[in-house]
Amino acid sequence: MKVSKFKQYLLSGVSYAIPFVASGGILIAISIAFAPMTSQGPDFSRAPFLKLINDIGTVAFSLLIPVLSGYIAFGIADRPGLVPGFVGGYIANQVGAGFLGGLISGLLAGFLVFYLKKIKVPVYIKPVMPILIYPVVSSLIIGFVMYRIIGAPIHDLMLSITKWLEVMGTGNKVILAIILGSMIAFDMGGPVNKVAFFFGAAMIQQGNYYIMGACAAAICIPPLGLGLATLINRKLWTEQEREAGLAALGMGAIGITEGAIPFAAADPLRVIPVIMTGSSVGSVIAMLGKVGDHAPHGGPIVLPVVDNRFMYVLAILVGTFVVAGIMTFLRARSKKKAETAPA
Amino acid sequence: MKLVAVTACPTGIAHTYMAAEQLERVAKKMGFSIKVETQGAMGIENELEQDEINEAAAVIFAVGITVQKPERFEGKKIFEFSVQEAIKNAEAILNKVKEEIGG
Repeated sequence: MKVSKFKQYLLSGVSYAIPFVASGGILIAISIAFAPMTSQGPDFSRAPFLKLINDIGTVAFSLLIPVLSGYIAFGIADRPGLVPGFVGGYIANQVGAGFLGGLISGLLAGFLVFYLKKIKVPVYIKPVMPILIYPVVSSLIIGFVMYRIIGAPIHDLMLSITKWLEVMGTGNKVILAIILGSMIAFDMGGPVNKVAFFFGAAMIQQGNYYIMGACAAAICIPPLGLGLATLINRKLWTEQEREAGLAALGMGAIGITEGAIPFAAADPLRVIPVIMTGSSVGSVIAMLGKVGDHAPHGGPIVLPVVDNRFMYVLAILVGTFVVAGIMTFLRARSKKKAETAPA
Repeated sequence: MKLVAVTACPTGIAHTYMAAEQLERVAKKMGFSIKVETQGAMGIENELEQDEINEAAAVIFAVGITVQKPERFEGKKIFEFSVQEAIKNAEAILNKVKEEIGG
Protein backbone atom coordinates (compact mmCIF):
# COMPACT_ATOMS: atom_id res chain seq x y z
CA MET A 1 0.00 0.00 0.00
CA LYS A 2 1.49 3.30 -1.06
CA VAL A 3 1.84 6.15 1.43
CA SER A 4 0.04 8.53 -0.90
CA LYS A 5 -2.98 6.21 -0.83
CA PHE A 6 -3.00 6.36 2.97
CA LYS A 7 -2.98 10.13 2.85
CA GLN A 8 -5.84 10.04 0.38
CA TYR A 9 -7.94 7.92 2.74
CA LEU A 10 -7.26 10.12 5.75
CA LEU A 11 -7.98 13.28 3.79
CA SER A 12 -11.23 11.79 2.48
CA GLY A 13 -12.41 11.52 6.08
CA VAL A 14 -11.10 14.96 6.91
CA SER A 15 -12.95 16.50 3.99
CA TYR A 16 -16.26 15.28 5.38
CA ALA A 17 -15.38 16.22 8.96
CA ILE A 18 -14.30 19.84 8.45
CA PRO A 19 -17.83 21.32 8.19
CA PHE A 20 -18.69 19.65 11.52
CA VAL A 21 -15.81 21.45 13.22
CA ALA A 22 -17.07 24.71 11.73
CA SER A 23 -20.62 24.12 12.86
CA GLY A 24 -19.69 23.01 16.39
CA GLY A 25 -16.83 25.44 16.92
CA ILE A 26 -18.68 28.53 15.79
CA LEU A 27 -22.00 27.76 17.51
CA ILE A 28 -20.25 27.06 20.81
CA ALA A 29 -18.06 30.17 20.47
CA ILE A 30 -21.10 32.36 19.78
CA SER A 31 -23.03 31.01 22.76
CA ILE A 32 -20.06 31.54 25.06
CA ALA A 33 -19.31 35.01 23.71
CA PHE A 34 -22.77 36.30 24.62
CA ALA A 35 -23.24 34.52 27.96
CA PRO A 36 -22.11 36.28 31.15
CA MET A 37 -18.69 34.95 32.15
CA THR A 38 -18.13 33.72 35.70
CA SER A 39 -15.15 32.12 37.39
CA GLN A 40 -16.76 28.72 36.70
CA GLY A 41 -17.05 29.49 33.00
CA PRO A 42 -19.98 30.95 31.09
CA ASP A 43 -23.27 31.19 32.98
CA PHE A 44 -26.23 29.95 30.95
CA SER A 45 -28.75 29.92 33.86
CA ARG A 46 -30.51 33.05 32.63
CA ALA A 47 -29.87 32.57 28.95
CA PRO A 48 -31.80 29.48 27.83
CA PHE A 49 -31.51 30.35 24.16
CA LEU A 50 -27.74 30.62 24.35
CA LYS A 51 -27.71 27.32 26.20
CA LEU A 52 -29.69 25.84 23.32
CA ILE A 53 -27.17 27.12 20.78
CA ASN A 54 -24.40 25.71 22.91
CA ASP A 55 -26.15 22.31 23.05
CA ILE A 56 -26.60 22.23 19.28
CA GLY A 57 -22.94 23.08 18.75
CA THR A 58 -21.95 20.36 21.18
CA VAL A 59 -23.93 17.80 19.19
CA ALA A 60 -22.18 18.84 15.96
CA PHE A 61 -18.86 18.42 17.74
CA SER A 62 -19.72 15.03 19.11
CA LEU A 63 -20.50 13.86 15.57
CA LEU A 64 -17.14 15.05 14.29
CA ILE A 65 -15.03 12.03 15.27
CA PRO A 66 -17.58 9.40 14.14
CA VAL A 67 -17.94 11.18 10.78
CA LEU A 68 -14.17 11.41 10.42
CA SER A 69 -13.72 7.74 11.21
CA GLY A 70 -16.74 6.65 9.16
CA TYR A 71 -15.65 8.43 6.02
CA ILE A 72 -12.05 7.30 6.26
CA ALA A 73 -13.43 3.76 6.24
CA PHE A 74 -15.80 4.76 3.41
CA GLY A 75 -12.83 5.99 1.41
CA ILE A 76 -11.12 2.63 1.76
CA ALA A 77 -13.95 0.12 1.59
CA ASP A 78 -16.85 2.13 0.13
CA ARG A 79 -20.30 1.81 1.71
CA PRO A 80 -19.75 -1.32 3.80
CA GLY A 81 -17.01 0.63 5.60
CA LEU A 82 -19.43 3.17 7.02
CA VAL A 83 -20.89 1.09 9.86
CA PRO A 84 -17.68 -0.06 11.56
CA GLY A 85 -16.14 3.34 10.84
CA PHE A 86 -18.92 5.21 12.59
CA VAL A 87 -19.11 2.71 15.45
CA GLY A 88 -15.35 2.86 15.97
CA GLY A 89 -15.34 6.65 15.85
CA TYR A 90 -18.16 6.88 18.36
CA ILE A 91 -16.25 4.63 20.72
CA ALA A 92 -13.11 6.72 20.20
CA ASN A 93 -15.15 9.70 21.41
CA GLN A 94 -16.56 7.76 24.33
CA VAL A 95 -13.24 6.49 25.65
CA GLY A 96 -11.62 9.89 25.13
CA ALA A 97 -9.32 8.76 22.33
CA GLY A 98 -10.23 11.89 20.36
CA PHE A 99 -9.33 12.56 16.76
CA LEU A 100 -6.31 10.30 16.83
CA GLY A 101 -8.55 7.44 17.94
CA GLY A 102 -10.95 8.37 15.15
CA LEU A 103 -8.20 8.29 12.53
CA ILE A 104 -7.05 4.88 13.69
CA SER A 105 -10.52 3.37 14.01
CA GLY A 106 -11.37 4.65 10.53
CA LEU A 107 -8.27 3.07 9.02
CA LEU A 108 -8.78 -0.21 10.86
CA ALA A 109 -12.46 -0.39 9.95
CA GLY A 110 -11.72 0.44 6.32
CA PHE A 111 -9.03 -2.18 5.87
CA LEU A 112 -10.98 -4.79 7.81
CA VAL A 113 -13.99 -4.45 5.49
CA PHE A 114 -11.74 -4.15 2.44
CA TYR A 115 -10.38 -7.62 3.22
CA LEU A 116 -13.71 -9.03 4.38
CA LYS A 117 -15.06 -8.13 0.95
CA LYS A 118 -12.37 -10.27 -0.66
CA ILE A 119 -13.59 -13.45 1.01
CA LYS A 120 -15.33 -15.58 -1.60
CA VAL A 121 -18.83 -16.64 -0.62
CA PRO A 122 -21.43 -18.83 -2.34
CA VAL A 123 -23.72 -16.89 -4.65
CA TYR A 124 -26.83 -17.50 -2.55
CA ILE A 125 -25.27 -15.78 0.51
CA LYS A 126 -23.92 -12.87 -1.47
CA PRO A 127 -26.95 -10.56 -1.13
CA VAL A 128 -26.93 -10.77 2.66
CA MET A 129 -23.22 -9.94 2.97
CA PRO A 130 -23.45 -6.12 2.75
CA ILE A 131 -26.67 -5.77 4.75
CA LEU A 132 -26.05 -8.38 7.42
CA ILE A 133 -22.66 -10.02 7.62
CA TYR A 134 -20.25 -7.11 6.99
CA PRO A 135 -21.94 -4.65 9.36
CA VAL A 136 -22.31 -7.13 12.22
CA VAL A 137 -18.92 -8.79 11.98
CA SER A 138 -16.95 -5.64 11.28
CA SER A 139 -18.50 -3.52 14.04
CA LEU A 140 -18.08 -6.35 16.51
CA ILE A 141 -14.38 -6.59 15.73
CA ILE A 142 -13.71 -2.85 15.58
CA GLY A 143 -15.77 -2.23 18.71
CA PHE A 144 -13.83 -4.85 20.61
CA VAL A 145 -10.49 -3.46 19.43
CA MET A 146 -11.43 0.10 20.32
CA TYR A 147 -12.94 -0.67 23.74
CA ARG A 148 -10.56 -3.34 24.94
CA ILE A 149 -7.24 -2.92 23.16
CA ILE A 150 -6.28 0.45 21.72
CA GLY A 151 -8.84 2.90 23.16
CA ALA A 152 -7.14 3.45 26.50
CA PRO A 153 -3.55 3.87 25.25
CA ILE A 154 -4.68 6.40 22.64
CA HIS A 155 -6.66 8.24 25.29
CA ASP A 156 -3.50 8.51 27.41
CA LEU A 157 -1.47 9.66 24.43
CA MET A 158 -4.03 12.35 23.53
CA LEU A 159 -4.08 13.49 27.14
CA SER A 160 -0.32 13.83 27.21
CA ILE A 161 -0.28 15.74 23.88
CA THR A 162 -2.91 18.15 25.18
CA LYS A 163 -1.07 18.53 28.50
CA TRP A 164 2.23 19.08 26.70
CA LEU A 165 0.69 21.81 24.57
CA GLU A 166 -0.72 23.49 27.67
CA VAL A 167 2.45 23.59 29.69
CA MET A 168 4.76 24.17 26.74
CA GLY A 169 7.46 26.79 27.36
CA THR A 170 7.90 29.93 25.29
CA GLY A 171 10.79 28.50 23.29
CA ASN A 172 8.82 25.44 22.26
CA LYS A 173 5.79 27.60 21.46
CA VAL A 174 7.87 29.65 19.07
CA ILE A 175 9.21 26.52 17.39
CA LEU A 176 5.74 25.01 17.09
CA ALA A 177 4.39 28.28 15.66
CA ILE A 178 7.20 28.44 13.09
CA ILE A 179 6.50 24.86 12.03
CA LEU A 180 2.76 25.48 11.76
CA GLY A 181 3.22 28.75 9.87
CA SER A 182 5.69 27.21 7.44
CA MET A 183 3.47 24.21 6.79
CA ILE A 184 0.42 26.41 6.17
CA ALA A 185 2.29 28.54 3.64
CA PHE A 186 4.38 25.79 2.04
CA ASP A 187 1.81 24.41 -0.39
CA MET A 188 -0.98 26.97 0.05
CA GLY A 189 -3.91 24.71 0.79
CA GLY A 190 -2.32 21.46 -0.33
CA PRO A 191 -1.69 18.34 1.75
CA VAL A 192 1.10 19.79 3.95
CA ASN A 193 -1.09 22.79 4.73
CA LYS A 194 -3.94 20.45 5.58
CA VAL A 195 -1.87 18.50 8.11
CA ALA A 196 -1.17 21.67 10.11
CA PHE A 197 -4.72 22.87 9.59
CA PHE A 198 -6.30 19.67 10.78
CA PHE A 199 -4.03 19.51 13.80
CA GLY A 200 -5.39 22.95 14.72
CA ALA A 201 -8.97 21.90 14.02
CA ALA A 202 -8.58 18.73 16.09
CA MET A 203 -7.17 20.72 18.97
CA ILE A 204 -10.26 22.96 18.94
CA GLN A 205 -12.24 19.89 19.80
CA GLN A 206 -9.82 19.14 22.64
CA GLY A 207 -10.43 22.63 24.02
CA ASN A 208 -7.12 24.16 22.91
CA TYR A 209 -7.80 27.10 20.60
CA TYR A 210 -4.26 28.44 20.34
CA ILE A 211 -3.00 26.01 17.70
CA MET A 212 -5.81 27.03 15.39
CA GLY A 213 -5.17 30.67 16.33
CA ALA A 214 -1.61 30.39 15.06
CA CYS A 215 -2.80 28.61 11.91
CA ALA A 216 -5.58 31.13 11.31
CA ALA A 217 -3.13 34.02 11.13
CA ALA A 218 -0.77 32.05 8.88
CA ILE A 219 -3.55 31.01 6.51
CA CYS A 220 -4.34 34.50 5.20
CA ILE A 221 -0.84 36.00 5.20
CA PRO A 222 0.48 34.62 1.86
CA PRO A 223 -2.38 35.94 -0.31
CA LEU A 224 -2.71 39.18 1.65
CA GLY A 225 1.04 39.84 1.58
CA LEU A 226 1.43 39.10 -2.14
CA GLY A 227 -1.70 41.09 -2.94
CA LEU A 228 -0.37 44.04 -0.98
CA ALA A 229 2.99 43.74 -2.75
CA THR A 230 1.31 44.26 -6.11
CA LEU A 231 -0.21 47.49 -4.77
CA ILE A 232 2.99 48.90 -3.22
CA ASN A 233 4.90 49.25 -6.47
CA ARG A 234 2.65 48.43 -9.39
CA LYS A 235 5.39 48.83 -11.98
CA LEU A 236 7.16 45.71 -10.69
CA TRP A 237 4.25 43.50 -11.68
CA THR A 238 2.66 42.50 -14.95
CA GLU A 239 -0.95 43.30 -15.73
CA GLN A 240 -1.87 39.68 -15.06
CA GLU A 241 -0.10 39.64 -11.70
CA ARG A 242 -1.78 42.85 -10.61
CA GLU A 243 -5.13 41.29 -11.37
CA ALA A 244 -4.15 38.15 -9.46
CA GLY A 245 -3.05 40.44 -6.64
CA LEU A 246 -6.53 41.87 -6.22
CA ALA A 247 -8.04 38.40 -6.27
CA ALA A 248 -5.44 37.33 -3.71
CA LEU A 249 -6.46 40.16 -1.36
CA GLY A 250 -10.07 39.06 -1.57
CA MET A 251 -9.21 35.41 -1.01
CA GLY A 252 -6.88 36.31 1.86
CA ALA A 253 -9.64 38.28 3.55
CA ILE A 254 -11.87 35.22 3.63
CA GLY A 255 -9.05 32.91 4.67
CA ILE A 256 -8.21 31.08 1.46
CA THR A 257 -4.46 30.55 1.15
CA GLU A 258 -4.91 29.34 -2.44
CA GLY A 259 -4.97 32.99 -3.55
CA ALA A 260 -1.18 32.90 -3.41
CA ILE A 261 -0.88 30.04 -5.90
CA PRO A 262 -0.64 32.08 -9.12
CA PHE A 263 2.39 33.89 -7.70
CA ALA A 264 4.03 30.77 -6.31
CA ALA A 265 3.47 28.88 -9.55
CA ALA A 266 5.22 31.60 -11.55
CA ASP A 267 8.16 32.08 -9.19
CA PRO A 268 8.24 29.25 -6.62
CA LEU A 269 11.83 29.55 -5.46
CA ARG A 270 11.36 33.10 -4.24
CA VAL A 271 7.67 33.23 -3.37
CA ILE A 272 7.43 30.08 -1.27
CA PRO A 273 10.28 30.88 1.16
CA VAL A 274 8.98 34.43 1.51
CA ILE A 275 5.41 33.43 2.35
CA MET A 276 6.69 30.71 4.70
CA THR A 277 8.62 33.41 6.53
CA GLY A 278 5.65 35.76 6.68
CA SER A 279 3.25 33.09 7.86
CA SER A 280 5.72 31.91 10.51
CA VAL A 281 6.09 35.45 11.83
CA GLY A 282 2.32 35.78 12.01
CA SER A 283 1.97 32.39 13.73
CA VAL A 284 4.59 33.25 16.34
CA ILE A 285 2.91 36.56 17.17
CA ALA A 286 -0.49 34.87 17.39
CA MET A 287 0.86 32.04 19.53
CA LEU A 288 2.70 34.32 21.97
CA GLY A 289 -0.25 36.74 22.00
CA LYS A 290 -2.51 33.84 23.10
CA VAL A 291 -4.77 34.18 20.09
CA GLY A 292 -7.46 31.51 20.20
CA ASP A 293 -9.60 30.59 17.21
CA HIS A 294 -12.83 28.66 17.75
CA ALA A 295 -13.50 27.98 14.07
CA PRO A 296 -11.49 25.71 11.78
CA HIS A 297 -10.80 28.51 9.36
CA GLY A 298 -8.47 31.48 9.11
CA GLY A 299 -8.14 35.03 7.91
CA PRO A 300 -9.86 38.26 8.96
CA ILE A 301 -13.25 36.64 8.37
CA VAL A 302 -13.06 34.56 11.57
CA LEU A 303 -12.37 37.64 13.75
CA PRO A 304 -15.77 37.37 15.54
CA VAL A 305 -14.89 33.95 16.98
CA VAL A 306 -11.28 34.79 17.87
CA ASP A 307 -9.96 35.46 21.40
CA ASN A 308 -7.43 38.28 21.83
CA ARG A 309 -8.54 40.02 18.67
CA PHE A 310 -5.99 42.80 18.87
CA MET A 311 -3.08 40.37 18.80
CA TYR A 312 -4.76 38.45 15.98
CA VAL A 313 -5.03 41.55 13.81
CA LEU A 314 -1.48 42.52 14.72
CA ALA A 315 -0.19 39.05 13.77
CA ILE A 316 -1.90 39.24 10.37
CA LEU A 317 -0.70 42.79 9.71
CA VAL A 318 2.92 42.12 10.61
CA GLY A 319 3.05 38.88 8.62
CA THR A 320 1.42 40.57 5.63
CA PHE A 321 3.89 43.44 5.69
CA VAL A 322 6.81 41.03 6.00
CA VAL A 323 5.70 39.22 2.84
CA ALA A 324 4.88 42.41 0.94
CA GLY A 325 8.14 44.06 2.01
CA ILE A 326 10.46 41.21 1.10
CA MET A 327 8.65 40.52 -2.19
CA THR A 328 8.86 44.16 -3.25
CA PHE A 329 12.55 44.23 -2.39
CA LEU A 330 13.30 41.02 -4.30
CA ARG A 331 11.28 42.10 -7.31
CA ALA A 332 12.92 45.49 -7.47
CA ARG A 333 16.37 43.93 -7.24
CA SER A 334 15.79 41.35 -9.95
CA LYS A 335 14.23 43.96 -12.20
CA LYS A 336 17.22 46.22 -11.79
CA LYS A 337 19.53 43.33 -12.56
CA ALA A 338 17.57 42.52 -15.70
CA GLU A 339 17.78 46.12 -16.85
CA THR A 340 21.49 46.53 -16.26
CA ALA A 341 22.45 43.15 -17.64
CA PRO A 342 23.72 43.20 -21.20
CA ALA A 343 21.05 42.06 -23.59
CA MET B 1 -10.50 12.91 -28.67
CA LYS B 2 -13.08 12.77 -25.92
CA LEU B 3 -11.99 12.74 -22.29
CA VAL B 4 -13.68 12.82 -18.92
CA ALA B 5 -12.10 13.90 -15.64
CA VAL B 6 -12.85 14.09 -11.94
CA THR B 7 -11.24 16.63 -9.60
CA ALA B 8 -11.45 16.47 -5.79
CA CYS B 9 -9.33 18.05 -3.06
CA PRO B 10 -9.76 17.64 0.72
CA THR B 11 -11.45 20.95 1.51
CA GLY B 12 -13.28 21.14 -1.78
CA ILE B 13 -13.58 24.90 -2.04
CA ALA B 14 -10.68 26.06 -4.17
CA HIS B 15 -8.22 23.51 -5.56
CA THR B 16 -10.96 21.23 -6.88
CA TYR B 17 -12.31 24.00 -9.08
CA MET B 18 -8.91 25.44 -10.04
CA ALA B 19 -7.83 22.02 -11.28
CA ALA B 20 -11.06 21.61 -13.24
CA GLU B 21 -10.62 25.02 -14.81
CA GLN B 22 -7.04 24.28 -15.85
CA LEU B 23 -7.95 20.94 -17.40
CA GLU B 24 -10.82 22.49 -19.35
CA ARG B 25 -8.75 25.44 -20.50
CA VAL B 26 -5.74 23.42 -21.61
CA ALA B 27 -7.86 20.68 -23.21
CA LYS B 28 -9.65 23.29 -25.29
CA LYS B 29 -6.34 24.77 -26.35
CA MET B 30 -5.05 21.34 -27.37
CA GLY B 31 -8.24 20.58 -29.26
CA PHE B 32 -9.66 17.85 -26.99
CA SER B 33 -13.20 17.69 -25.79
CA ILE B 34 -13.31 17.20 -22.03
CA LYS B 35 -15.96 17.15 -19.34
CA VAL B 36 -14.77 17.64 -15.79
CA GLU B 37 -16.79 16.55 -12.79
CA THR B 38 -15.97 18.31 -9.52
CA GLN B 39 -16.35 16.53 -6.21
CA GLY B 40 -16.01 19.41 -3.78
CA ALA B 41 -17.59 20.64 -0.57
CA MET B 42 -20.86 21.15 -2.46
CA GLY B 43 -20.95 17.47 -3.40
CA ILE B 44 -20.77 16.25 -6.98
CA GLU B 45 -21.21 18.97 -9.60
CA ASN B 46 -21.22 18.72 -13.38
CA GLU B 47 -21.76 14.99 -12.90
CA LEU B 48 -20.56 12.65 -15.61
CA GLU B 49 -23.27 10.55 -17.24
CA GLN B 50 -22.57 6.88 -17.79
CA ASP B 51 -22.78 7.34 -21.60
CA GLU B 52 -20.22 10.10 -21.44
CA ILE B 53 -17.87 7.89 -19.47
CA ASN B 54 -18.42 4.99 -21.84
CA GLU B 55 -17.66 7.14 -24.86
CA ALA B 56 -14.54 8.74 -23.40
CA ALA B 57 -11.14 7.58 -24.61
CA ALA B 58 -9.72 7.90 -21.11
CA VAL B 59 -10.56 8.98 -17.58
CA ILE B 60 -8.41 11.48 -15.71
CA PHE B 61 -8.50 11.72 -11.91
CA ALA B 62 -6.89 14.83 -10.41
CA VAL B 63 -7.58 14.01 -6.78
CA GLY B 64 -6.27 14.26 -3.24
CA ILE B 65 -9.06 12.14 -1.77
CA THR B 66 -10.95 9.01 -2.77
CA VAL B 67 -13.23 9.41 -5.77
CA GLN B 68 -16.95 9.04 -5.11
CA LYS B 69 -19.05 6.59 -7.13
CA PRO B 70 -15.95 4.82 -8.49
CA GLU B 71 -18.01 1.97 -9.95
CA ARG B 72 -18.96 4.23 -12.86
CA PHE B 73 -15.40 4.00 -14.17
CA GLU B 74 -14.98 0.24 -14.00
CA GLY B 75 -13.13 -1.12 -16.99
CA LYS B 76 -12.02 2.32 -18.21
CA LYS B 77 -8.43 3.38 -18.59
CA ILE B 78 -7.82 5.68 -15.61
CA PHE B 79 -4.94 8.13 -15.27
CA GLU B 80 -4.49 9.36 -11.73
CA PHE B 81 -2.71 12.59 -10.82
CA SER B 82 -2.63 14.90 -7.81
CA VAL B 83 -4.74 18.05 -7.77
CA GLN B 84 -1.55 20.09 -7.64
CA GLU B 85 -0.26 18.58 -10.86
CA ALA B 86 -3.44 19.55 -12.65
CA ILE B 87 -3.28 23.13 -11.40
CA LYS B 88 0.39 23.61 -12.14
CA ASN B 89 0.79 21.65 -15.33
CA ALA B 90 -2.41 20.43 -16.94
CA GLU B 91 -0.62 20.38 -20.26
CA ALA B 92 1.82 17.69 -19.14
CA ILE B 93 -1.09 15.59 -17.90
CA LEU B 94 -2.96 15.82 -21.16
CA ASN B 95 0.17 15.16 -23.18
CA LYS B 96 0.87 12.06 -21.15
CA VAL B 97 -2.69 10.80 -21.60
CA LYS B 98 -2.52 11.50 -25.31
CA GLU B 99 0.73 9.62 -25.65
CA GLU B 100 -0.49 6.58 -23.72
CA ILE B 101 -3.72 6.14 -25.59
CA GLY B 102 -2.14 7.09 -28.88
CA GLY B 103 -4.73 9.76 -29.73
